[in-house]
Amino acid sequence: MNPAELALYPFERPATLAELCRTLSARAGRRERTVLLAGGTDWIVERGFAPPENPDDLPLVLDISRLPELRGIQLAKERAAIGAAATFLEIRSHPVLLRRVPVLTAMAREVGAVQIQARGTLGGNLATASPAADGAAALMALDADVVLASVHGERRVPLTQFFTGYRATRRAEDEVIVRVEFVLPRTGAHQAWRKVGTRAAQAISKVALAAVAEFERGRGVRAGFGMASVSPVTASLPTVRALALAPSLASVSDEELDAATRHDIAPIDDIRSTAAYRTHVASALVKAFFRELRAAAGS
Amino acid sequence: MRIAFVLNGKKRALDAPPLARLLDLLRGPLGLTGTKEGCGEGECGSCTVLLDGVPVNACLVVAGQCDGRTVLTVEGLGTKDGLSDLQDAFVKEGGAQCGICTPGILMAAHALLTANPQPGEGEIRESIAGNVCRCTGYQRIVESIRHAAKERASRESG
Repeated sequence: MNPAELALYPFERPATLAELCRTLSARAGRRERTVLLAGGTDWIVERGFAPPENPDDLPLVLDISRLPELRGIQLAKERAAIGAAATFLEIRSHPVLLRRVPVLTAMAREVGAVQIQARGTLGGNLATASPAADGAAALMALDADVVLASVHGERRVPLTQFFTGYRATRRAEDEVIVRVEFVLPRTGAHQAWRKVGTRAAQAISKVALAAVAEFERGRGVRAGFGMASVSPVTASLPTVRALALAPSLASVSDEELDAATRHDIAPIDDIRSTAAYRTHVASALVKAFFRELRAAAGS
Repeated sequence: MRIAFVLNGKKRALDAPPLARLLDLLRGPLGLTGTKEGCGEGECGSCTVLLDGVPVNACLVVAGQCDGRTVLTVEGLGTKDGLSDLQDAFVKEGGAQCGICTPGILMAAHALLTANPQPGEGEIRESIAGNVCRCTGYQRIVESIRHAAKERASRESG
């Protein structure tokens, strides 16, 4: 980190979403670069190892961390809408989310220590689009929608289609993520968050699994999975999802689960782990979740 | 950019680059060197201060984001001649060794005890999980925090 370099960036704090969208639109039209800054837990850290910027052509940093339209957590009619600038600390402390969406609150409790929870946001997690993002994995399991705003209004992108490649998303230069929305899992849904990392508090995941399975009269009606750090983008594990909806979970073998998991991921060797270890852990986490489902179904 | 905020209970205003790190403002122009820099990338917790009452890493908070807010540093906990009960507990229980991590751990523990006056051991350990100490092995730190909580409870019941 070179603090002196950081101090050179131009900075503004738009007061409203409308003002932010106008600024983004004008700058995108002029092909000027803009950074949307929320908690800074990725962007500020990355200044330390990113290639140095030309001091005469720095992007404008817009602070969106306290923009009213991006704050808050709303629940209505069995849907949750979480502001893009709501922090992980706010999410893990929310009484209804704690009861109804433990997959999300458990993630928020483990995404980092309290200092990171207090700053990090779901909007930042999705916009940075790291394949290791814990928040993205949990939201993937919930089949969340990402709501983007610009001067042209709002549009909604299913999270399963939001990531287009490693650290790349469908967010356009003139857009800001305003919130994520999802249907609350029904009461009694099976939800799991399992993070495997080096250090309990601050580790970036070697592998993390978010899983939600909903049953009606013993039959799976919705299964959502999200896995971090096993492919260039957050993995949605479509083949594993299909197995969770099989007519009889008892008939799904561990070999099938291993094959499905391997089919749905493309892990690599990197600084945090190896492809072989990640494959092993990913399969183990999926099989453990299915064991819980079978035990609950009494099969 | 003009930054106005409440620092350790007093209104302060200064001119600073908007993306200057809060950590550098504190240790530089504001002269508060109690807050330490460890890793400078949000991993070690040495620079923990409270922003609107919540622990944050001052190396990842920029000046422009502090405008209009409340910041508490270790200098706001107690004075050299009048330590806070939490600081006193760290002295009595041997919670500090080399001292680099201590201000950050004090702030994290202060936030914990404010929100949860009688935490269990698990809650104490979770509250300081973002603070790395390379001397103590953490046991004495946990005992110091537990000691402060006990003293507060006995003062209130007595």
